[in-house]
Amino acid sequence: MCIHGNLMKEPKGCQPRDRQMCGRSFSLWTTFPRSLCSHHAPRKVTRANGARRAMAAAVTAAWAQRLAGVRGLLLDVSGVLYDGGDGGGTPIPGSIEAVARIKQSGLKLRFCTNESQKSRDKFVGLLRRLGFDISVNEITSPAPAARQILKERGLRPYLLVHDDVRSEFEGMDTSDPNCVVIGDAGDGFSYQSMNEAFRVLINLENPVLLSLGKGRYYKETDGLMLDVGPYMRALEYACDIHAEVVGKPAPEFFRAALKEMGTEAHETLMIGDDIVGDVGGARCCGMRALQVRTGKFRPSDEHHPEVQADGYVNNLAEAVDLVLQFADK
Amino acid sequence: MAARRALKAVLVDLSGTLHIEDAAVPGAQDALKRLRATPVAIRFVTNTTKENKAELLERLRKMNFDVAEHEIFTSLTAARNLVQEKQVRPMLLIDDRALPDFEGIPVNDPNAVVIGLAPEHFNYQVLNEAFRLILNGAPLIAIHKARYYKRKDGLALGPGPFVTGLEYATDTKAIVVGKPEGKFFLEALRGIDCTPDEVIMIGDDCRDDVGGAQSIGMLGILVKTGKYRTADEEKINPAPYLTCESFPHAVDHILQHLL
Repeated sequence: MCIHGNLMKEPKGCQPRDRQMCGRSFSLWTTFPRSLCSHHAPRKVTRANGARRAMAAAVTAAWAQRLAGVRGLLLDVSGVLYDGGDGGGTPIPGSIEAVARIKQSGLKLRFCTNESQKSRDKFVGLLRRLGFDISVNEITSPAPAARQILKERGLRPYLLVHDDVRSEFEGMDTSDPNCVVIGDAGDGFSYQSMNEAFRVLINLENPVLLSLGKGRYYKETDGLMLDVGPYMRALEYACDIHAEVVGKPAPEFFRAALKEMGTEAHETLMIGDDIVGDVGGARCCGMRALQVRTGKFRPSDEHHPEVQADGYVNNLAEAVDLVLQFADK
Repeated sequence: MAARRALKAVLVDLSGTLHIEDAAVPGAQDALKRLRATPVAIRFVTNTTKENKAELLERLRKMNFDVAEHEIFTSLTAARNLVQEKQVRPMLLIDDRALPDFEGIPVNDPNAVVIGLAPEHFNYQVLNEAFRLILNGAPLIAIHKARYYKRKDGLALGPGPFVTGLEYATDTKAIVVGKPEGKFFLEALRGIDCTPDEVIMIGDDCRDDVGGAQSIGMLGILVKTGKYRTADEEKINPAPYLTCESFPHAVDHILQHLL
């Protein structure tokens, strides 16, 4: 595996990180030709073993550098641990063991999800049934984050959310609402329910709309389904306002997860399947991030015009192999 | 102002301009008669998503307006024309009362989405169905994109928010057919030999009636009836050609200055 192919975006020259990996110093690294770079030089048959060893060393050095000092892992759930579908879904091969290995390693671990159709209790129940060792207090999800915001700002919400997530807001004052919280309400979306939310907002002097994520759509076994985003947009347009998104990729959401995990951004690695929501969001907060080639991953993600991951791995199991090998070195 | 060509056609908004609910604007019937005595062509243009043409006609006749069916052009008619032009089979997300305006249009195995105001259709399952069609390439045709409207029990969502939601989900833009789209005004004049600078539009909505018409070179008169609110005329630039009390005053101005 060539590290230029794997982790470098610019194909022409050797990049700053290559320079360190190559163990050479250049005054003009941008123009340093690939042919002179030890891991890019054309392989000669007679030196095959040497070249291979050199490449392996370079790859090792690259990962060692990228993962150095990682003390905590933030994992996306859907598309990383499991794929949704009939009967709740199926675990992605190797992910159950990968989670267990992280826990044994002593690294800090937290799950960071935009799930807004289920309460954490129900979500954890599903994941445990699938075989994951996971508990409610290990999950950062939008509904509790929204609850925290409501509490801090003294807001009384009108809840346009799925019945299964309503318990996250139990005990909150919802009388005479002065804001709207919208989640993926599924069948709870109707003209009537949207209109009620609209009327709450349009009658407020300072309308506040909290949206649990802003995804456009997601995949279920019988086809694509509208996510919360389009309904959020509908209310934004109707009232000429901007929603506050609670969930990935909002920086506050990632920061909350870090605080709950007890690590700093620079010592935390995010692993997700969404190049923008997971990787882009985490990197904006100063974390490192890997994208897995599972879930909603598409090959074009590796050439995304705006977001580049610190690395791309086939699945969570491979990510954990690398982390356990290099994180402390 | 550069010299304009002689006036050949007048476009008149209905609700809020000729009448408010079931009551005619005082003097509007006589004013329409005076206008009919001139050589200009008259068309009535409205952004309805619910009432079909027959219903509109009946209401106008009950109020003693002299109007012929072929003179009425609605956003539903514009949508129907577009569907026929594109030769598509629409999924109709419109109120049942509007269905007669789509009579004869094939709707089996749909490959387009026409969206108006249809509270009974705006639920998760139906919107998912529309979403999947659009994602597969079906054009999204919006009757109009109003944010909300006034109902007896308070404000209520218009079709605009639902159109916008589908646009966001599918990363596409709807084709809007009603006012203030320039094409709407031009289509209303189909069969009349005139150019936009020979046409004047009279309405109570500063943006949709006057702004839309003026954006394609027509003149616009804003009347202070219907939904008009103080200072509405300041909402658009250039300002309305004229702002006046009501439809009869607008007609008087035309008779005195534009013919």
